[in-house]
Amino acid sequence: MEQVLYSLPGFRWQDALDIFLNAYILFRLYVLFRGTNVFRVLMAVCLLWVLHRSAGSMGLVITNWAMQGVITAATFIIIIVFRNEISAVIQPRNLKSFFWGIPRHQLNTPLDIIIDSTLELAEKKIGALIILPLKQGVDSVIKEGVPIHASLSREMLTSIFWPDNPLHDGAVVIQGNQITRAGAILPLSHKRDLASAYGTRHRAALGLTELSDALVLVVSEERGQISLVKDKEIHPILQTKDLKSILARHAGNEAQKKGLRRQTRELIIAASACLIFTSGLWYYFSRGMETLATQEIPIEFTNRDPKMRITRASASDVKLLISGAKPLINALKPEQITVKLTLADYRVGINTLSVTRKDVKLPPGIRLKSIDPAQVEITLDALMEKQLPVQPNWTGRLPQGYVMKGTRTIPPDVRVMGGEIALKEISTIFTEKISLNTLKESGVATVELVLSSPTLKIKDRESIQVQYFISKKSGVN
Amino acid sequence: MAIIFCAGLITLPAQVFCAPPAAPDIVLGQAEMCESIENYQPVNPAVVFSISRGELFCFSEFDQVRSKTHIFHKWFKQDRLIFTMRLTLSPPKWSSFSRIQLRDADKGPWRVEIRDPNEKILKTLRFSISD
Repeated sequence: MEQVLYSLPGFRWQDALDIFLNAYILFRLYVLFRGTNVFRVLMAVCLLWVLHRSAGSMGLVITNWAMQGVITAATFIIIIVFRNEISAVIQPRNLKSFFWGIPRHQLNTPLDIIIDSTLELAEKKIGALIILPLKQGVDSVIKEGVPIHASLSREMLTSIFWPDNPLHDGAVVIQGNQITRAGAILPLSHKRDLASAYGTRHRAALGLTELSDALVLVVSEERGQISLVKDKEIHPILQTKDLKSILARHAGNEAQKKGLRRQTRELIIAASACLIFTSGLWYYFSRGMETLATQEIPIEFTNRDPKMRITRASASDVKLLISGAKPLINALKPEQITVKLTLADYRVGINTLSVTRKDVKLPPGIRLKSIDPAQVEITLDALMEKQLPVQPNWTGRLPQGYVMKGTRTIPPDVRVMGGEIALKEISTIFTEKISLNTLKESGVATVELVLSSPTLKIKDRESIQVQYFISKKSGVN
Repeated sequence: MAIIFCAGLITLPAQVFCAPPAAPDIVLGQAEMCESIENYQPVNPAVVFSISRGELFCFSEFDQVRSKTHIFHKWFKQDRLIFTMRLTLSPPKWSSFSRIQLRDADKGPWRVEIRDPNEKILKTLRFSISD
């Protein structure tokens, strides 16, 4: 619990989106597949996955390996065995029902039409098999049949079972106020103690209720007898009021209200379970797998005086030891981390800046453990101009008996631009080396100037003239 | 590296005169780089000196010295201060010098700054030491 609370400050909006998005996907899967066998098998697969993870964490090598194999096999088995059910869930749906519609079972079924039609069929001794799917649905059980999707009416229902109608032998499926399917073939019950009075229709109705929670009305062709089959039991209907009350109890107005409340409650519980499950999953992935990593991030120097420039820095980037959830660390890009040091209060010269946690900006969910180096030494310099005298740089040797009495540079000084620090160290600009070896009389030489630092620049000119005065040494002829 | 090892003191005849109140305490008359000093005068003043000479002098003569004071000879090779020599001056006139012994590593451009007690530059002598 303490660890959960500790991790909350790093909770990002992306995490909330992640949880809600996946919870909604899970909830939609539940809505689409609830009541089907696929859903039940999927739950079993989920249970196997939990076992697989538990076995892995406990170090049960063989169990872990076996569970992994079973899950993989189960996934293929689900797709192959339940392909009809999966396609029945997915195919007939439009985008609305797929993404946000919530199908409700038998909430708007006009029972009077069904009762009237059933009574008429019974009176005329026309055999009929009417299915009202309830919570679980019947898509996975019923095969074949003709999709109709026709509005429910007495005429429509009776005409389907009319003896000359090609669909009269099969069952009719009613969902809401629609006849969704006719001529459907039901699985027959293998019950051995079925009374001899009951024929194939009753056996088929019984077979369906053995595999689903559907309510089935059967009209006997021989006797005109109405039977209601529910939960693997056949209830002969002797009086019309019994039919009304039983239908109303399971799929009627009262049941509608109760069913609506029950379904709403069920959906809220399912949504909450999805949210809790996804949150748990998120916590497992994002917080459960805490990891350490090192990132090398370049330092950004901000608020620098435009006149100043950085001539030297002891480090151009820092190593950050960070921690966080493994998926977050793996997805982390260096561009998402910034290290900014302000130079607002620093002056020309060598400055020592401390790199603190405040200077490091990390994405939510990532925590800073250490910074290396914790201090950066930078040298700031400002551009300036300085008037400097020029001095010739003589080399070699004057011929024997000659002496250089004086020199004059034209111009005597030059303006030099450069960093304040570099210029502070300089008080003279020297020429390139000028050879003395052949000089025997006064003259003028045009020479280049040499700068001691590449950051310096001479304004306006690069070369100057050196006027030199040579004479013979006194006492030498 | 050059070794600066001595400073000379040369007494000149005393001369009494009255200077205006704003006149400086010392007035530099002559300053030369030279090969040697004879009879209180620089010998072979020049701006380029051969290393083979073995030594080099900076001569400074002050025409006016109001009271006992001192000056500095600061020797720089390129822009690096090599040596500072403190020289005492006595009224009314005074000459002084500093000297370095030359070695092979001393070749290059040099300067000597002659400064008053307040470190104000009175004169800069620029020269080169060559082969």
